[in-house]
Amino acid sequence: MEFAIFFLFAAVAVIFALVVVLHRNPVVGALSLVASFFALAVMYVLLEAPFLAALQVIVYAGAIMVLFLFVIMLLNLQHVAEPVTRPVQQFLGYTTSAFFGIGLVYYLSKYAVFNALPEGPFHADARTIGIKLFESYVFPFEMVSILLLAAIVGALTLSAKSVGRPGASESGAEAR
Amino acid sequence: MAFDTTDILLSVLKIAIILGLWLNVTPIMVWVERRGSALIQDRPGPNRVGPFGLLQSFADALKFIMKEDIVPAQAHKWLYTLAPTFGLLPALTTIAVVPWGRGFLIPEMSLFGRRLFEGGRWFEPVIANVGAGILVIFALASLGVYGITIAGWSSANKYSMFGAIRASAQMISYELSLTLAAVSALLVAGSLRLTDVVAHQTGYFILFDTIKLPAWNIFSPGMWLSFIVFSVSAFAETNRLPFDFAEAEAELVAGYHTEYSSMKFALFFMAEYMAMATMSAVVTTLYLGGWDIPWYNEPPTFLGFLLSFLAFLVKVGILMFIFVWVRWTIPRLKYDILMRIGWKVFLPMAIVNIVIVAAFIAAGWL
Amino acid sequence: MIPTHYFLILSALLFTIGVCGVLTRKNGITIFMSIELMVNAVNLTFLAYARQFHQVHGLIFVFFIMAIAAAEAAVGLAIFISLFHHRDTIDVDEANLMHW
Repeated sequence: MEFAIFFLFAAVAVIFALVVVLHRNPVVGALSLVASFFALAVMYVLLEAPFLAALQVIVYAGAIMVLFLFVIMLLNLQHVAEPVTRPVQQFLGYTTSAFFGIGLVYYLSKYAVFNALPEGPFHADARTIGIKLFESYVFPFEMVSILLLAAIVGALTLSAKSVGRPGASESGAEAR
Repeated sequence: MAFDTTDILLSVLKIAIILGLWLNVTPIMVWVERRGSALIQDRPGPNRVGPFGLLQSFADALKFIMKEDIVPAQAHKWLYTLAPTFGLLPALTTIAVVPWGRGFLIPEMSLFGRRLFEGGRWFEPVIANVGAGILVIFALASLGVYGITIAGWSSANKYSMFGAIRASAQMISYELSLTLAAVSALLVAGSLRLTDVVAHQTGYFILFDTIKLPAWNIFSPGMWLSFIVFSVSAFAETNRLPFDFAEAEAELVAGYHTEYSSMKFALFFMAEYMAMATMSAVVTTLYLGGWDIPWYNEPPTFLGFLLSFLAFLVKVGILMFIFVWVRWTIPRLKYDILMRIGWKVFLPMAIVNIVIVAAFIAAGWL
Repeated sequence: MIPTHYFLILSALLFTIGVCGVLTRKNGITIFMSIELMVNAVNLTFLAYARQFHQVHGLIFVFFIMAIAAAEAAVGLAIFISLFHHRDTIDVDEANLMHW
């Protein structure tokens, strides 16, 4: 039963990832990426981490991709035709990534360490993550908040010279 | 994760009940909206079709089905058709984690000579009691932004585009204050599961050693700010007046669903009412004690379940009537004021409330 | 219980597709989306191993990666917008001068 769900959503994730990479229209690409992220969230649930699955949908599919869509729509990028990649670059790109992929899978299967799955439940809920965040990881936690502040200021500065509206919704969508 | 046929059948039953209720929300709310607005505006409202205009929703549905379905020539066909589905997704799925009744023990019974529910089976009336309960609601609600954005963009109409951008910016801004306001209610319950939040509210507050108040979150002073923030953000999330500048009839024609006709428009319509119903359900669960009947300890039997289900429906119904009431009473907020108070007033209020609730919990008062 | 190597193969596949997107496309937004795909493939690997060894540290790492990816997306898109406003093209190969 779990295998059926795994294969179904793995296929969804891979197919929509291919659409992102191969389709001309960036809006279709952005929406396919949303579908791919959703399928990945289901994968996270299969990995017994429902909290992170919900976070994946909230942060990635619900905020970052909305930001992407805003940028594409406000700049009317679907009408700006992307120049066709030169055949040399296409060929080299596809073959390099194919070799990379094959090498990755080969080395993974040769060197990856798999012990037997330990017994007992895996507590991946908000309580465990929260405790760890405020105990061992409190310094990175605070640094990430400063990083987000720097990102907000940076995004505002970079887009402030442009027309007011893209800047306003940019910073609004980003701070989310 | 072993489950057997009885589990599957019970789940299907739960889904059937909730889906049956939620899909019928739209016709009922259409009638309530039109008669309620007529009541507030001192006019009769629809009273031709059926007694008290009760069959008006059927007439509307028939009209929608018979209308010609127009697709603008320059619209992106796939996305134009897909957009209402995106709008419907959060409306139909977020209700899965809300508990709608008291859990009870199904006693062992024998039907047609077969023994069913051997040893008694605990029936928990929530479709999906996941560990990350309320986060699922926020996750799926944030997908609702896509419906509006894609609808506005794919209509190839600049007014739709304006309405869509405004609506999506408004929705993502108020999602923040919605989430942070809900955190206060979750802090008190100590868990993300909505069943735990409601279970926490079934107790009583004893005031001055005599008065017994049900321990609903709305009765504890530390939560008042977050209740206000959550309710107002719920209005903003569902794009209802006073926050419906995106639909803004008479200003933006009809905002992001200008170019939609017949069944696609009906889908947007349905999605809006269902989102309203889900938000009311979440507000009752977080603040009004969910299925808890005040001053009555519901026993874990079928009767207790029915009474608690009824109480839940009554509370959700009252909140939805308040949605309609507010719509026809308060004028629409201007867009820049709306965005300004979303970021500068409600977000700080929600954060301050978290600090207050955390202080109360540390002091042992909650 | 799905064995861990299934998830690792899926994540390797998604990572490769992301690499392919970055190498082959010229649209800045599409390259950015392929990078996000690669980051998500890595997230999946972290979670697969977190479950394998029953460690919470993998989850915390994924948490931080999500937060940082959000910040990076915002700044990256702001850079892309200002690039687009200056050069009026989305082709990243056109951004080939150190200053203009």
